Amino acid sequence: MNEILLNNEVIVYLLSETVLYLLLFVAFLVTVGLVKKWNFDAFTTEQFTLENRSYLVMTIIFFGIVLKIILLPYFVYTIDALSDLVPGAMCGAGVIKANAYGNPLLALKIVILFLSGLWLSINSIDLKAKRYPYLKLKSWFFLFIFVLLSAEFLLDILYFTHIETTNPVSCCSVIFGQTGGANSLPFGLDIPKLLMLFYLLFALIVLSLFSNLSLVSVASSILFVVVGYYAVVYFFGTYIYELPTHKCPFCMLQDHYHYVGYAVWGLLLLGTFFAIDYAVMNVFFHTVSQTLKRIAIVLLSMFVFLCSGYVAVYYFKNGVWL
Amino acid sequence: MRNNAFLHFLTLLLFKQKSKHIGAVLISVIIIFLLSAVLFLSSSLQYSLLSALQKQGDFVVTRIQAGKPANTPVAWVDQILGINGVTHVAPRIYGRYFFAPRENAFLVVGIDFFDEQNNQALQRLLKDVDLKRFFSKDSMLVGEGVRKFLEAHYFKNDFTFKTPKGTFKKVNIYQTLPKQANLIDNDMIIMPIELAREIFGLGEGEVTDITFNVPNDAEWDNIITKLHLLFYDVRVIEKREVKKAYENLYNYKGGLFLILYLVTIVTFMLILYQRYSMVYSTERKEIGILRAVGWSIKDILKLKFYENLVIVIISFIIGVVLAYLYVFVLNAPLLSHIFLGGSNLANHVTFVPVVKFGILGSIFLFYAVPFLAAVLIPAWKVAVTPPKEAML
Repeated sequence: MNEILLNNEVIVYLLSETVLYLLLFVAFLVTVGLVKKWNFDAFTTEQFTLENRSYLVMTIIFFGIVLKIILLPYFVYTIDALSDLVPGAMCGAGVIKANAYGNPLLALKIVILFLSGLWLSINSIDLKAKRYPYLKLKSWFFLFIFVLLSAEFLLDILYFTHIETTNPVSCCSVIFGQTGGANSLPFGLDIPKLLMLFYLLFALIVLSLFSNLSLVSVASSILFVVVGYYAVVYFFGTYIYELPTHKCPFCMLQDHYHYVGYAVWGLLLLGTFFAIDYAVMNVFFHTVSQTLKRIAIVLLSMFVFLCSGYVAVYYFKNGVWL
Repeated sequence: MRNNAFLHFLTLLLFKQKSKHIGAVLISVIIIFLLSAVLFLSSSLQYSLLSALQKQGDFVVTRIQAGKPANTPVAWVDQILGINGVTHVAPRIYGRYFFAPRENAFLVVGIDFFDEQNNQALQRLLKDVDLKRFFSKDSMLVGEGVRKFLEAHYFKNDFTFKTPKGTFKKVNIYQTLPKQANLIDNDMIIMPIELAREIFGLGEGEVTDITFNVPNDAEWDNIITKLHLLFYDVRVIEKREVKKAYENLYNYKGGLFLILYLVTIVTFMLILYQRYSMVYSTERKEIGILRAVGWSIKDILKLKFYENLVIVIISFIIGVVLAYLYVFVLNAPLLSHIFLGGSNLANHVTFVPVVKFGILGSIFLFYAVPFLAAVLIPAWKVAVTPPKEAML
């Protein structure tokens, strides 16, 4: 018997994913029909039904995406809860590494959320126009997202059914710690250079958003996610844990650190998403939304202040750097 | 302002059409109540067990002969004391005393009352024991369940044990163990180690196991290795293993319940789908009017979505609050027996209120996702009715 599948959180998570996938599958079938027969200029009953059906697709996708946004932190919470059952794991890092499906699944989830967020933006400008100008585009876009969703659903099942509770997994200090002095940062960076890059990229995003250099801000946002990830794991995290050797993206999600990890990763992902969303809307659809820009800047600034705040508070309390 | 008008309209609509939603709310409340009562119970029990476990000694060592537990020589205590980093080494006699007439068993624990205890709860308990009076005759401390059981069988002040030699041993009941720890020591009897040795018929210099602490938990694995180097016939039980076993047990109980509960949820979805298809078909005219005065399909979908969201949230809050009162105020009559089990002595436990955010989130997802998914398609069907057709 598999103890993992009997875990409360896993059951709830898999049920929610299954229900969502079934609904999205209905949306997929309807969308295939839409793409095939859509002709806005036709005055047939069929076109009329299709227009009504497009609302069903829209509602289902909207519902699905909102839930996926809630389910991502819940997934991370589940992984964290499983660390009690999997031998050797102290936090989610070990559990996600328990088999080869874990890391691709998490990455795929984040990619899907970014893409479906973009879908929502396209949808809203499509509805504002009178002739549904982007219907074909958004339908094809959804079909593409649906392929990813199917892969995600498959990975979900493969991942949870293949976690062994008998073989010990590695703890986060083994996965992220510097063993034998090897530098685990990419591009041969070291910590000071990484931090310089971190703050410079942040400044670049803010400046490019203000000056409407959209392509620059998309590129810098994507880079910022990567650099932000490394900066939090290898530098800011050590101040959150107040331990220079503790490098882990998952431990900060536990109650011991007041669940601050949810805020850190949430702000980083949401902030960069809104920045990219704003820029993409600006380049491809020529719609400029000041609120999106402001939200992006506020969220990213909050992220940077939160991270730097931990460092500042630590220095203030102890008078030394780690 | 427009948004406010929308919300105002929504509330008016909900109050006006109370009877339409009351059925769905009732079923939801029952489903959430049952689900959260079970989850609250299991998490509270798990919490109490783990916090009791936290206070216990870190390691238990027994001798093993051909895979079968054997009596452990007391001489091992000195050898274990020789390992660096080990504290509070204490020999212990531990076993079940079977009371044949009723087929019940007591858990008898024999400890050295003059030693410092490695179990913090025990240490605190023994502080209040007046040792002079305790040792003036053979005495023991008994758990709440044991006391009640003995009283019902006319052992008011003492109990007579039968020893393996065929003699009888009368032991005085000194005091009852505190009620808070009922989950663990309900059927427990604590007595001096010499007395327990006599009752279980162990030889001089023999105990059942030896417990000790290792304060630095980074050293735990080293200590285990050292123990195996010291004795070839040893079995080491560490606190971590016991903790994992408890977690697995509650994970298993809760999980099995949830799996069976899936059936209920699926049925619930079907009922909701049917019911809302029916309810909404009676609303066609209303929707038609709204469409005719200029509402778009999107607005109507929004209205329906909010309507259901309000129902979901209201039923969630009512269900969870009711479950909280049932479990932590009324102490979960009926349901508690499923979790505590009553094959041995009857147990009465007061549940410590433990409500974690994660549990509430799980309950909400488990119920809200199927609910909203089930009404989505009926809501769309009614939203796209053309105004002209609906008003005919």
